[in-house]
Amino acid sequence: MATSKTRRKFDKVLIANRGEIAVRIIQGLREMGLGTVAVYSEVDRTALHVLMADEAVFIGPSPAAESYLVGDKILAAARKTGAGAIHPGYGFLSENGPFSRQVEEAGLVFIGPTAESMEVMGDKLASRRKMRSSGVPVVPGTDEAVTDPEVAIGIAEGIGYPVLLKASAGGGGKGMRIVRESGEMASALRQTMGEAGSAFGNDAIFVEKYIENPKHIEVQVLGDGQGNAIHVFERECSVQRRHQKVIEESPSPSLTPELREKICAAAVQTAAAIDYRGAGTVEFILAPDGEFYFLEMNTRLQVEHPVTEMVTGTDLVHAMVKIALGEGICYRQEDLRQHGWALEFRLYAEDPSRNFAPSIGRIESMTIPQGPGVRLDLGIYEGFDVPIHYDPMLAKLIVWGEDREQAIARSRRVLSEFTLHGPVHNLPFHQWALEQPSFIDGSYTTHFVGEEFDPANWMPELDAGQAEALVAATALFEALRRSGQATDEKNVDCAAGNWRRNALRSMTGNK
Amino acid sequence: MKKRYILNYDENQYGAVVAQDGAETMVQVDDGDMTPVNFRPVLNGKAISIRFGGRLHLIHLTNSGGNGSVQATIGGRPVSLTVMDELRAQALESLGDAAGSGTICADIPGLVFQIKVSRGQIVHKGEPVIVVEAMKMQNELVAAISGTVTEVPVSEGDSVNPGDPLVIIEPEPGA
Repeated sequence: MATSKTRRKFDKVLIANRGEIAVRIIQGLREMGLGTVAVYSEVDRTALHVLMADEAVFIGPSPAAESYLVGDKILAAARKTGAGAIHPGYGFLSENGPFSRQVEEAGLVFIGPTAESMEVMGDKLASRRKMRSSGVPVVPGTDEAVTDPEVAIGIAEGIGYPVLLKASAGGGGKGMRIVRESGEMASALRQTMGEAGSAFGNDAIFVEKYIENPKHIEVQVLGDGQGNAIHVFERECSVQRRHQKVIEESPSPSLTPELREKICAAAVQTAAAIDYRGAGTVEFILAPDGEFYFLEMNTRLQVEHPVTEMVTGTDLVHAMVKIALGEGICYRQEDLRQHGWALEFRLYAEDPSRNFAPSIGRIESMTIPQGPGVRLDLGIYEGFDVPIHYDPMLAKLIVWGEDREQAIARSRRVLSEFTLHGPVHNLPFHQWALEQPSFIDGSYTTHFVGEEFDPANWMPELDAGQAEALVAATALFEALRRSGQATDEKNVDCAAGNWRRNALRSMTGNK
Repeated sequence: MKKRYILNYDENQYGAVVAQDGAETMVQVDDGDMTPVNFRPVLNGKAISIRFGGRLHLIHLTNSGGNGSVQATIGGRPVSLTVMDELRAQALESLGDAAGSGTICADIPGLVFQIKVSRGQIVHKGEPVIVVEAMKMQNELVAAISGTVTEVPVSEGDSVNPGDPLVIIEPEPGA
């Protein structure tokens, strides 16, 4: 390495996050020879990221609003441990402009973009205006907030129904409503403004064309903060439930080489237009006619960044840290290639049969899949109690194959080897998705789950042989358990003693 | 010696007999043949490897709650099931055809909060018979049939798991 450790801008980094992303960032930092500081709330005292860091600082009660979201506590922890930089991960304070500013004003390095970038991209109207003036295609619609139904109807007629009413400050699917004809406009506008006002404290609404059957395509970018930017190709994230992604892949099965070149160039243009610094993601919607439109930019490392890393052989955490160290972008655009195919499956503690309702509890037993093409970004371990206070994502399983077909076949194999007992989880949902024709042929859209998933009838049946084997094994398991219990309680009867001896004989292979 | 189990998962009920014949373990599932099985507890007791029906299966098993609730995974598919031993199975069997409908079982893990009936009492369909408390919520269970309470195998304050019989009602003659 050209820079010696003593001359670096920082040599210890505080990770202002928890769960699998904190673990993944600690791993990246350690590989670069940097010190790591974890922060933790009451309920996370023994969480995996705390166990893995060099140092850990307690920052308060379990609710995020009293710990992971309190900028002052994070900064105090950095000062206490002498960390020279803060990596925010995703969620929590990662896209909080004032926090980024606070970090830099305290003389520390924020591993991410400037507050100005976050603020432009955090405001949907401001980002639309900025992108339109930079020549990036945006969905046809208004650049100004609308409150008058007559004005909204005029705009809708200009761009054609259906249209989408969207809260300027919204996100995650909140504050959105589809309007299919002028008669629906007045009440839809009133309701959306009301929701936006109470949820986001800002009732600005804008009107845009509603794209039917859209694909969600996003492009990974890296910027040096001086107006230079590159892209690290695209990801497709159309498998969503409750407007949240559950399966992502790279490359996208929906792009031709020409379209890929155009959409990636638009992403670079977006990042360069705001002198973007660090790793970011430009999201587009792709209409069935091949037109694509800027949706928003996520000014952080994304949950699904590993699929990009798997197909391009890059390390985005290293790249972010090098940019923060002032070393610039560590890859040259012309050296980057997509090689093979990667799928990411988010492991959530949630019940697909109950509208994906979150679940909690202790991780009783876990068997991790291995073998060719497998990467697992884990935030849990056996014996860990999944807390109720945070996002229920436990881990991300990423599977690489030479092409999409092999990646899907391999994913089926890998998922069949993954066992998790404790909270209800969505691994079987991923198995279901991998059997759906529209997923297999890549034609699925963001309506995939809503249209094809039937919560009452989706779990694949066991075949007759499996069912019988399960019944036999469970009965044997119960017999062994009961005999074990009797022995432990020194309440040995002959029968129980026999059971135990015979089980042992069975284990040693004597029949 | 033989042990008999009743297992439930999804909508299915299975009977299994596990028998020890010298050094050999035999298993019978439902009305299938009594067959010798080759199995081993593996992965530090977290799973059973079993050769059954000409195939080798690796089945992960975890006791959840300690009283009959089992989480299992086979081929990546998680299954929640309950397993009852012969005593409980016999209790159910003694009810003959009325088994099930006359037996009120816990449907959630919880504590028996209040027993509203006693042995010998005549109850009518729809009458509340027992209250189970879980996560500070009280769930009242009602008689599914009219008849006479023949058994209340639990006491107030007992912790119960899904599938545990709570109140057994014998249907009135001719019902």
